[in-house]
Amino acid sequence: MNIEATEHEKAVLLKVTGRMDAENAPQFEHACEQWMRRGAKHLIAELDGLEYVSSMGLRSFLSVAQKLQPLPGSLILCGLKGLPLQVFEMTRLIGLFPVFETPGQALATL
Amino acid sequence: MDSPAHRLALPACLESLGEFRRFIREGAASCGITGAQVDRLDLVMEEILVNVARYAYVPNTGTAEVAYWQSSPGRLRVEVSDQGHPFDPFQADPPDLTRSLADRPIGGLGVFLVRTVVQSVAYRREDGRNVLSFEFPGNG
Repeated sequence: MNIEATEHEKAVLLKVTGRMDAENAPQFEHACEQWMRRGAKHLIAELDGLEYVSSMGLRSFLSVAQKLQPLPGSLILCGLKGLPLQVFEMTRLIGLFPVFETPGQALATL
Repeated sequence: MDSPAHRLALPACLESLGEFRRFIREGAASCGITGAQVDRLDLVMEEILVNVARYAYVPNTGTAEVAYWQSSPGRLRVEVSDQGHPFDPFQADPPDLTRSLADRPIGGLGVFLVRTVVQSVAYRREDGRNVLSFEFPGNG
């Protein structure tokens, strides 16, 4: 898994590519927490390059979203497809996150 | 008629996941399971093996074994076993998928995904071993 961060005025965009599994899911959570410590309230995860996510990854997404919500803030998901989209749908987590096709659409709502 | 089983035993730890993945992928390929279905099989194996790695032998360590064979054309039967504490992962209540973000529990999704993706999943305790078996692909 690779995470590439870009700072925008109202959000931090995290482009996540590769596989998010039990061995590396905590890295995503740590990356998000570092941006939160630096004051970020809205994180946008760009996921069209995410090939795989297991329940360990879902835990990270859920945990970050739960920490952002009271700020108030949000973890926004973009470009979900393939197995990651199926997994978010099967677990009905998809309804708990703002979801957009592209980061541009997400940024326009903030 | 079932074909003979292929077996792989490794230390029950997260570092073994990659090798188990390569092993089960060979099984999938030999069975003609390809593409998106392979990712779903990876997912199920990870969920099961992570549970074994984390809980089966606490506070000690031990071995996890994966066995597979072709149960019918295009279909794998898989068994994951350990010699750890007796534990039936399907006894826990399924997670409540209707809760709001703030109230949504963080855990319990792995076992739920296993149940959702595979077919004929079952747990048995046999000769001091936990054995979790399933058939793949499921219906999804």
